[in-house]
Amino acid sequence: MMARFGAIVSSLWRRAGGRFSLVVLGLWVLVSLVSLVWTPQPLWRTDGYDVWAAPSAEHWLGTDGTGADIVSWLMAGSRTDLLIVILTVLFAGALGLLLIAAMTARNSVLANTSVVAVDALISVPTILIALILAVPLGASVAVIVVACGFGYGLNLARVARPQALLVARSAYVESAVSNGASGVRVLFGHIVPNILPVLLVQLSLSAGTAVLAESGLTYLGVGVPSGTPSWGHSLATTVRFITVYPLTVLWPGLVVTVVVVALNLFGDALRDAVDPVGNPALRRVAVEETEA
Amino acid sequence: MSDTNGAHGDAGATAASTDASLNARVKTPHRRPWGWIVLAAVAAVAIVVGVVVGVTRSGGDRAAGASDTVTIGLKLAPTNLDIRNQSGSALDQILIGNVYEGLVARDENNQVVPALASSWEESADGLTYTFHLNENMTFSNGDVLDAEDVVWSIRDLVDNQYHDASSLANFESIAATDANTVELRLSAPNSNLLWALTGRCGLVLDRDADYDAQTEAVGSGPYLVSDFRANDSITLTANPDYWGGHQAKTPTVVVRYFADDNAAVNALASGDVQVLAPISDSLADQFRENEERYTVKAGDGTDKYVLAFNSAGEHTADIRIRQAIRCAINHDEIIASRGGTDAALGGPIPSLDPGYEDLTDVYPYDLDRARALMAEAGYSQDNPLTLRLEYANTYGTELGDQLRSQLREIGIDLDVEVVEFSTWLQDVYTNRDYDLSLVDHNESHDFYQWADPDYYYNYDSPEVQDLYARALAATDDAERDALLARAARIVSQDAAADWLFNYRVTSAWDNGVEGFPVNLNQTQLPLWDVTYTA
Repeated sequence: MMARFGAIVSSLWRRAGGRFSLVVLGLWVLVSLVSLVWTPQPLWRTDGYDVWAAPSAEHWLGTDGTGADIVSWLMAGSRTDLLIVILTVLFAGALGLLLIAAMTARNSVLANTSVVAVDALISVPTILIALILAVPLGASVAVIVVACGFGYGLNLARVARPQALLVARSAYVESAVSNGASGVRVLFGHIVPNILPVLLVQLSLSAGTAVLAESGLTYLGVGVPSGTPSWGHSLATTVRFITVYPLTVLWPGLVVTVVVVALNLFGDALRDAVDPVGNPALRRVAVEETEA
Repeated sequence: MSDTNGAHGDAGATAASTDASLNARVKTPHRRPWGWIVLAAVAAVAIVVGVVVGVTRSGGDRAAGASDTVTIGLKLAPTNLDIRNQSGSALDQILIGNVYEGLVARDENNQVVPALASSWEESADGLTYTFHLNENMTFSNGDVLDAEDVVWSIRDLVDNQYHDASSLANFESIAATDANTVELRLSAPNSNLLWALTGRCGLVLDRDADYDAQTEAVGSGPYLVSDFRANDSITLTANPDYWGGHQAKTPTVVVRYFADDNAAVNALASGDVQVLAPISDSLADQFRENEERYTVKAGDGTDKYVLAFNSAGEHTADIRIRQAIRCAINHDEIIASRGGTDAALGGPIPSLDPGYEDLTDVYPYDLDRARALMAEAGYSQDNPLTLRLEYANTYGTELGDQLRSQLREIGIDLDVEVVEFSTWLQDVYTNRDYDLSLVDHNESHDFYQWADPDYYYNYDSPEVQDLYARALAATDDAERDALLARAARIVSQDAAADWLFNYRVTSAWDNGVEGFPVNLNQTQLPLWDVTYTA
């Protein structure tokens, strides 16, 4: 298993996109961890006499409209966004797999209803779901996670369905079922491994879109609540002044862009790296494992 | 660029009509009378086209003389024009003094000045006001405006309890003693009456006019509403038959509403509007730096950013906590972060209202004192008190962030919730479920809030209530002002709230614009004196 993992990572590293995304995502996790114990300036500190300051030794990227340090807020924001991305991907993945299981079920009523239900629900805009959720929940991380997880989960299920269906109706699954394999066993033992490349690409796209959604929803006032650092918060509080202080908008914008690009490239690179056809190292490991 | 592609629509139209009128003129001597009708119709079309072309061009590069049109950018748009029923200061701002006029008006220092009434007397007991009206007044539709219209307007307002009727406290009756004299009687003195009459309740409307109040307005003012587009724009044209001294200096004033600050600033920079009020202070620098083209000025106003303390709250009922918060807030720093145009305010009465006193020394910024007060109440930075600050998202997140930062220094953990206005209305205003809240109370003469124990502040001071009642009953302005000042000082000393600052509206205009009011221009915006020379 470790050998497999090593083969995948080294394959990722050999690809330019993979290397870029590994570096960015690694930094992201590292900065998030560091921000828990240290930021260049205390997060809550504001200074009304030093608002919209230009970058300096004290404030590496300057200050915002309350005199708060932009670097510190971006660093602290990275952990909020990381949390949102992880929760959203988990939620979307779980929902997606559940729907795939339903859509490939042997019970044709369940399968057909779930296909129709997914097609109908996928037409509801994510942003509308978020706005509706914000009514009872107010501005909160849960709004982003549930709205995005719901939307991306549906999308994931629909994209992965054809391939999942091929597997589910294949001869080896038929024989596994006739040997008494349970539905859960079929799903995780046969379907998931076969659609893994699609799953990984879709989930990494979801992760990137979740970062964008966090910015957008926070700007609309239904995302991350005020006082919680996030990249969307940094954007929302500075974007009104883009004509006067464009630099303060540039930094969070740049962070969001770089991370979203990295997540998208990561998905592509990972799909190639986990696919034995595209990754000879993985084939070698597989051969060694069967021989051992 | 070719002229044949039809892009220059107005040039083509002018040429066509010129040809047509020439043809018509050639034919007239030989034709029967209906030819004259054709000629007249064609001439009318030519004139209309000419006027339209002239008007659309006049905004541009007329070398000398005042422009026919001034375009003004404002922020809050009225949804309809029904000044009797629709609330919101956007209506007062655009209609009072421009389209409608009241018995009396207010000047740029918030003082009562003559309008439809040229003078008035108040009886010694403060119960009878006699107004002497100007003579030969007319509404814009030609109807005569006399004492009967005044009496009808105010009776109608009171009978139907239209918007703002409540500010005519103690109203008993109104009657015309002759065509130009009106007598208003009160059941008890109301020292606020004259000022109240400068607002909606003093307006005089034409009882005989037949119009849709939602989209039209017929008044006696210097301007007519010629076009109204809800939430977008209002076009005012000069009333050619205006009776009084405020004759409009500019024939057409177009008011455009910009909800988005950046769009507003772009409109001023590109010359789409010549005036912008308000302009967000942080966005005004580009105009401040360009002194040759623009003037940027902040005007005094009555906007009070009130950090309300729930006087019946679990923790904020303790006066030591409230005092500590007042001492811990660095008002100068907050004002500096906003660009330094706002004024410090230590109590509930702003400088343009009666009873104003500088109360900024009641609780000066003093962290040691604040910490000592918190320690007395049992809290410190190591053992912080958590308080919730809930306010509407229209005020932005910055103030909450700053307050959290400042109060942290004295051991208060501020949990800031920025919510939709409707949520705020429900939680704070209606249910009083809050510790701290932040509101811009922009009304003038609104001290009644502190004398009403049922207001959302939960502030109940019999002494303040008594002083305010006596101030209302005062028959002499100096006495009223002194009583209000005493009451305001008590409210401030009780730390019933903290007044973060007195917001001053910044306006910016092209240097060719003259006569634009700077003070109080978000509540009433008289435009008759405004001119623009390109």
